[in-house]
Formats: sequence, C-alpha cells, structure tokens
Amino acid sequence: MHAPISLAKVDVDASHRYGPLTVHDGLKFSVAANEFICICGPSGCGKTTLLDMLAGILVPSSGHVHIDGTPANPKKHSISFVFQEPSTFPWLTVSENVATGLNIKGAPSDQVRSKVASIIDIVGLKGFEDYYPHQISGGMKQRVAIARAFATEADLILMDEPFVSLDQPTREHMQREVLDIWRHMKRTVIFVTHNLEEAVYLADRVLILSAKPARIVAELPIPLQHPRDPLSTEFTEIRSKCVQWLHASH
Amino acid sequence: MAATTKGDAGRSDMPEAMGAGIRIVAWNVLSLAIALVIWQLASRAVGSPFFPAPMQIVDAFIQLATRGDTTGHSLWEHSWASIERVLVGFGLGVIFAVPLGLLMGLYPKLYAGTRAVIEPFRFIPPIAWIPLAIIFFSGLTRFAFLIFLGAFFPIFTSTLVGVARVEPIHRKVGIVHGASKLWILRHVVIPTVMPDIMAGMRVGLGTAWLTIVAAELAGGISTGLGRMMINYAELIMVPHVIVGMLLIGLIGFLMNEVLLLIERRLFRWRWQVSL
Repeated sequence: MHAPISLAKVDVDASHRYGPLTVHDGLKFSVAANEFICICGPSGCGKTTLLDMLAGILVPSSGHVHIDGTPANPKKHSISFVFQEPSTFPWLTVSENVATGLNIKGAPSDQVRSKVASIIDIVGLKGFEDYYPHQISGGMKQRVAIARAFATEADLILMDEPFVSLDQPTREHMQREVLDIWRHMKRTVIFVTHNLEEAVYLADRVLILSAKPARIVAELPIPLQHPRDPLSTEFTEIRSKCVQWLHASH
Repeated sequence: MAATTKGDAGRSDMPEAMGAGIRIVAWNVLSLAIALVIWQLASRAVGSPFFPAPMQIVDAFIQLATRGDTTGHSLWEHSWASIERVLVGFGLGVIFAVPLGLLMGLYPKLYAGTRAVIEPFRFIPPIAWIPLAIIFFSGLTRFAFLIFLGAFFPIFTSTLVGVARVEPIHRKVGIVHGASKLWILRHVVIPTVMPDIMAGMRVGLGTAWLTIVAAELAGGISTGLGRMMINYAELIMVPHVIVGMLLIGLIGFLMNEVLLLIERRLFRWRWQVSL
C-alpha cells in the first residue's frame, strides 16, 4: 500500500441542536493524524450526529469541525464512511460496489481494477467478485462496505458501529482485519461503538461521551501493543476503567 | 429461488430452470389446445354463422394475409399502422413521463404545488380525448397524441412513486464520498427507480394498446387493426373481425414479452421479476 500523502488531523469544537433538542453542547476533542480512536457512549448520545458532522454532511449549529484546519467537506477532504446499516447497492456486484468510492473520485479504470482486486483479497471476498449482495451473507455484505470505504484510501475513515450486525466470531475476525488494513494503510480512523471491549481492543485512545447533551467525559489512552489479548490483566484493567466512566456518564 | 453455487452466480442453475421452462411451455400448449377444442365443439353445437369455428378464423386469416381486405389493404399494413402509432405515442410517453416523474419525485414540493393541474388529467380516460383529437389532429399525430395520453400517466406515476423508494443510506454513501447530484441521480436514483419505471411502462403499454383500437374504431382513417375490424363488422363477417381481435391480443402480448425480456436482463440483481 501507499504511504499516506495527506495526514488527516481532526479538530472538533462543536454544539448542535435540532430545534429545542441540544444533541451536543461544546463537544471538544481532537484526533491526531493516523490515530485510531474509538468513541463510546450511552444509547442516544448523538453519535450519528457527531459522525455526520465529521463527514461534513451536517454543519454544527455553532463551533466547528475541522479536518487539517478547514471545515469538513466531503468534496474537498478524502473521507470514507462505514455505516451501521446495510449500505451496499443491490444492483451492483461485489466488485462494482467496492469500486463505488473510487469511481466517484474519478480514478482511472485500470487503477480501480487493481485496487478493488487487492482490497477484496484483504477482506477475504476473493471468488465472490461477481456476486450480487442478495447472494451473500449479511457479514459478507458488511465486509463489502468496509472494503468500499478502505478502497479509496481516504485520509479519514469513519465507522459507525460497523460490526453490530455480525455474530461474535465474524465480529472478532473483522476487528482483526480492520486493524490489519489500518496497519497496512495508516489512516485516521474514528470508530463509534457501544462495545467497550471492542473499543479497548482496537483503539489508540477511547473517548467516552456523556448522555445528551453529549460532551467528552473521559479520554483513555490504550498503551497496549497489537495484537491485544482481551484476557490479559492490563486489558481488563483498562476495560473496567472504561466501564466505570461510561456508568458515570449517565 | 435455490442458492447458487460458488463461482458462477445465477448461471449454474440454468439446466434446472430450462427444464421448468419447457414444462411450462408444454402446459400452455396443452391448455391452448383444450380451449380450441371447446371452441370448436361449442361452435358446432350452436351451428350459427355468427359463431364461427376456429378453422374459419384460420381461413379468414389466410385470406386477409395473402389477398388483403375489401379495401385493398393487407393485414400487415393494418397491423403495422397500429404498431407504428403505438410505438410513436408510447415512445413520446416514456420520453416525457420518466424525466418529469424523476424531477417531481426528487423535488416533491414541485409536485405538491402542481398537483391540482396534473391530477385531474389522470382521470380523463384517453378515449375521452378522441373527439378533441379528431378536431385538432389528423393521421399519425392524432393517434400518437391519444396514445401518449394513455401511456404517460402510468409511467409518470410509477416513476414518481419509485423515487420515494430511494434508500437514504444509498444517497449518503454517494454524499460522503463527495459525489455530485448528477452522480447520485445516475448511480443511485435511476437504478432504484428502474424497476418501477419498467412496471409503469408495461401498464402504459397496455393502456396504449387499448387506446389505439378505440381510436381507430372512431374512424377517419383507412388503416389500422381497429379500422379493419369495423369494416368487417359492417359486412357482418365475424371471422375477419375475430382475426383482428386475436392479432391485437397477440401483438400486445408480444410487446409485453419484449419488455419483460428487457427487465430480466436489466434486473439480474433482483431475486425475481414480478409478473
């Protein structure tokens, strides 16, 4: 894979309200380039709103969301998004789906072909290139969505509980795969999850959000080497610290 | 549908599907034969010149096909005249209904604001336009206009409704990757709406075919299957009238089959194409 050209540094200081409902009130944090952070919080703390602001498709009511110093804008910045819900296009084959982001960016077709082939190999969908989404399992569809997000080699990759619909073994497998891709490609990743174990397993740093109006209640660096062992004492210690913060955030 | 095996999705179950297809054709041939036998027996039982037997229809068909009708027009001239009118009017209907349906689907306010103008027209049957069409237009234009009216609304309405079916998440995939509005229209909206457009086209084609016969019956022209039928009805030559009816059914059926074929090619990604 290529060395990163632009390094997406994210800087958030934003409030957002829908009518009388304040979703975020002075939410403030920053993410270093190539950092992998996980955001955890209670249900309904406005994580989707936060991700939409980070993706530049929602402008905060006040404050700013900056990527490399300018307001987040999907046409200017190189951003990818893995959604929680199924998001593959049913009328495209697996490889056409994976190529979507590259095609939007107008990449030349030979480059699209080679990138799609290599990313399909990484997510373990080799042999399924010409299948349509209805012919493969839900877990495989999510892998297609992940491959699509990583294929563009975006500087910033946003992931909204991408594994929530997967069973435990597939989930663990996908976590390892995402870490693997991230280590290959070194991008900035912001990963939202309800699952603290997942967060501690994946992230360089875990941010804990409070209930609405959401603000950051804790920032926990995870100074453990990959691959991490969820049964090790260091892991469980950090995990229980996260649990305490999450409970305190309600 | 059975799960397909690895490697060659959708093609590996061909032999099975073909076997089922042959069986269905066989059943259709059988039921057609039974219908013809019942017709023959009924005609013989009634024994009236106004209730011809199948063979008389065949004779009338051969006569019309080889020697033409009383006015000197061949069966093909009549058929082609009707088909041409339908294709022109239907084509115009598609050209206007699809973009307008997409536009109003994408901008619901535009539709909401013009409903009072659009909707009443929907409930004027194309046949009710025939008198005006006779005054204002002649020849191909008259029929194209009437058929356009018949085909427009089914296609327009199903396109309009189809746009509402676009998944917000699919739009969002485009937007987060920085796609333009045009990209989203071409790669998200149109693929989603395509099945509805095709369904509307099949309904529209049915309406178009219905309208052409009525318009030709209304007179003023010398060709067309409707015209031919009314000529023979005036001569009380029942078998020739029935030839016209059967041809209308057959041509409509074949046109629908062509659309279905296109649908099956376009929508290989779907589980199945509805009837």
